[in-house]
Amino acid sequence: MKKNRLMLIMCTMLLLILVGCTSNDQTEDNAAHADSLETVAIVGEEPESESKEKILNIGVQYAPSTLDTHKGYSGWHTSTYGITETLFKVGDDFTLEPLLAKSGSADGLVWTILLKDNVCFSNGDALTADMVVGNLMRVASENQRFAYLADFTYEVVDELTFTIESKTPYPTMLNVLASCETGIINLDKTIDFDNGIIATGPFIVESFNPQAKTVLARNENYWNGDVALEQATFYRMPDADTLLMAMQNGEIQCYNGLNAAAMEIFKADSSTYDLVTVPATRLQMYFLNQDRLSDNVRAAINLTVDAEDIVSYLGGTVSPTVGPFSASTAYGKAQKPAVDTEVAVALLEKEGYKRNKEGYFEKNDKLLEVNIAYYPGRSLDVLATIMQEQLKEIGIRSVLTSEEKPDSTYIATRDFDIALYSMNADLSGDPAYFIMNTLKDGAYYDVGGFDDETCEGLITDLSREMDTRKRAELANQIIQIAIDDNAFGYLAIFNKTTVLRKGVVGFSETSPFDFYGIDAQTDVN
Amino acid sequence: MKRYVIKRLLHLIPILLGVSVLTFGLLYIGPGDPAMQCLTSNGVVVSEEILTVTRQEMGLDKPFFVQYGTWLFNLSHGDMGISFKDGTAVAQKLKEAFVYTLLLSSVSIGLSITIAVPVGVFVAIRKGHAVDNVIRMISFVGNSMPNFLICILLMYFLCIRYKYFPIIAQNSIQGLILPTLSLTIPMCSRLLRQVRAEMLEQLSKDYITNARVRGVRETYILFFNALRNALPGIITIIGLSIGGLLGGSVVIENIFRWPGIGKLVMEAIVSRDYPVIQGFVIVTALMYVVINLLIDISYRYLDPRIDD
Repeated sequence: MKKNRLMLIMCTMLLLILVGCTSNDQTEDNAAHADSLETVAIVGEEPESESKEKILNIGVQYAPSTLDTHKGYSGWHTSTYGITETLFKVGDDFTLEPLLAKSGSADGLVWTILLKDNVCFSNGDALTADMVVGNLMRVASENQRFAYLADFTYEVVDELTFTIESKTPYPTMLNVLASCETGIINLDKTIDFDNGIIATGPFIVESFNPQAKTVLARNENYWNGDVALEQATFYRMPDADTLLMAMQNGEIQCYNGLNAAAMEIFKADSSTYDLVTVPATRLQMYFLNQDRLSDNVRAAINLTVDAEDIVSYLGGTVSPTVGPFSASTAYGKAQKPAVDTEVAVALLEKEGYKRNKEGYFEKNDKLLEVNIAYYPGRSLDVLATIMQEQLKEIGIRSVLTSEEKPDSTYIATRDFDIALYSMNADLSGDPAYFIMNTLKDGAYYDVGGFDDETCEGLITDLSREMDTRKRAELANQIIQIAIDDNAFGYLAIFNKTTVLRKGVVGFSETSPFDFYGIDAQTDVN
Repeated sequence: MKRYVIKRLLHLIPILLGVSVLTFGLLYIGPGDPAMQCLTSNGVVVSEEILTVTRQEMGLDKPFFVQYGTWLFNLSHGDMGISFKDGTAVAQKLKEAFVYTLLLSSVSIGLSITIAVPVGVFVAIRKGHAVDNVIRMISFVGNSMPNFLICILLMYFLCIRYKYFPIIAQNSIQGLILPTLSLTIPMCSRLLRQVRAEMLEQLSKDYITNARVRGVRETYILFFNALRNALPGIITIIGLSIGGLLGGSVVIENIFRWPGIGKLVMEAIVSRDYPVIQGFVIVTALMYVVINLLIDISYRYLDPRIDD
């Protein structure tokens, strides 16, 4: 009896301790946040990093294995780290802005690029046209995705001018030169391309450990004015919870790519954090297989799938979209009919489908059943489930097929009725990349059987058109034809959400692109 | 004994060959294309031509037996290949990560044994007392909690709530503490229960009663009779834990940013980095076999009745 009583008392005490520990006292939390920086200075591995002024600690889930800008996707990281810069830059409004270049103009097949005369590398060497051409040739040899750059003919006109000649008109040349893989490195003076490149950006590499962190110091020779930060450190934290807790603990002061749960937490404490959300460039979409689904069935599906409803389930991580591009771009002005399940049902009935006892449509005793193929990444599993429910409501039965790797399964075999997919639709402020890869006849992602002569003609025009405004018009027409043909369903565009501790500014939080981060204006106040 | 060890080491050859063929085959027939993974990891789409060239560069266009034969030939010359992901030598990557895993594992195992053995013996002799019940309850909870939950709770309480440690504290003694605790809690709980059970079994045997009747000191009975005879069971579970730990702990290494072998292989699996996965499988299989061999040898020393 005595033993049982003792046990009971001990268990109660343990429970009370646990309850006491988990009490969610906001005031105490805020106090903890307020003194977190001092605490880190005592217990952290780098106490000096917090005691200095103008130092920014940033959390990232991914880090490159090399800092060689020209290899793989390293350029995305070196651009985010503020180490490398490109000749042109894509602005927040998806338009191109000169960066290292002063101007770029085309005359027929020849593009002439003029460089700014005050650009220099972090070691003081001036940027020359010869160096830029050398960089472009190196990208072509080091990066398979840019191997086509070797097909152009380059000519250095003078110290600051060079030309690029293509065999056919190349209207997106400046967009290519805005790709962060084409970041400019001092090829003559860089010794260790993997760990310490010399470039033109506002920051230089102090230390690089791919698994842990990249420490960057201010480039004292920066060509484009003063650099606000003294030092920035990018900590690699693959786990989302670790990022969240490091932010709460004050050990990092900003990061992006928040999930819905983290967004809620930071939103609830607006006195400590700024939360900035902008629609980005990664698209959630589905292909409709025209070889298997009739026009009316495809139309009925598109009139039923409600993107707004889907977005509400994904907790602010995505924004609904009409077309593949952000509505804020000149080429993102497509229209699609509003969700209307009554019209959808009428279309199915017009097609000859009748409801069976279970409420599902069938024709000639054959059930209308669609196969939704998806992969469990980028929230597509959630999308597939919601779509299944939405289609069920109007009487279309669907089965879900999950594959780990879509490109080697349902995209390659085309064995689907509806194929969910997520891709980056806009890499450099031009619609051609997406259109050429999904809508052009024979393209790798032309997997739904979409085929339209008018559209093909317009795509050919787009590939030649040099005027940006006319390109946008053409793109809108092309996308509209595909939407009207119910070849695709564009559901949502992922948001880029950045959380910044109060006082931190300029972490490219308003840019829709993943490859911009700190720059000369990034500051900690 | 020598013959026994040599025989066991010779068994390694078919085991490693079998494991490597199986892994290679599974990776070959499984979905996923390393070239595609490499090129499209940022959601960027590429043309079929680029894919073809990249596949050729990676040697993925060759038939299965040519790929496997080349890999095996290079391995026999000490070359584990080059990572598809970043072009680094696989052996170098594994070596760097293994140092971290070895450090974390050995500290965790050492701590677990230091705590679990004396506490297990203690609760065995105090069977049914309040302290036995409390420790059993704690070890039950420690054993039942998933790793990620232990990590999150430790981080929340020790880093955020009470600020004893920073979240970002890698590659230092301080950075070792939380991952060690995360590994030690479940392992120690498991070991403690095993020690208790083995000790109770030994303590209930006739030879212990006889020793007590003969007036042998209780501490001698506990540590030189009961514990010694309980060791084979305890060593078995320690050996299994060592094998598991040296294979890396993906969750703990990811959460605490510990650059061990678990994190490395997880990233390799996601990016379909075949050479790294193959290298990992071979090294892990080798470790398992060697550890099992050491355990078997230890049995013979602890209990001479066990023969070859």
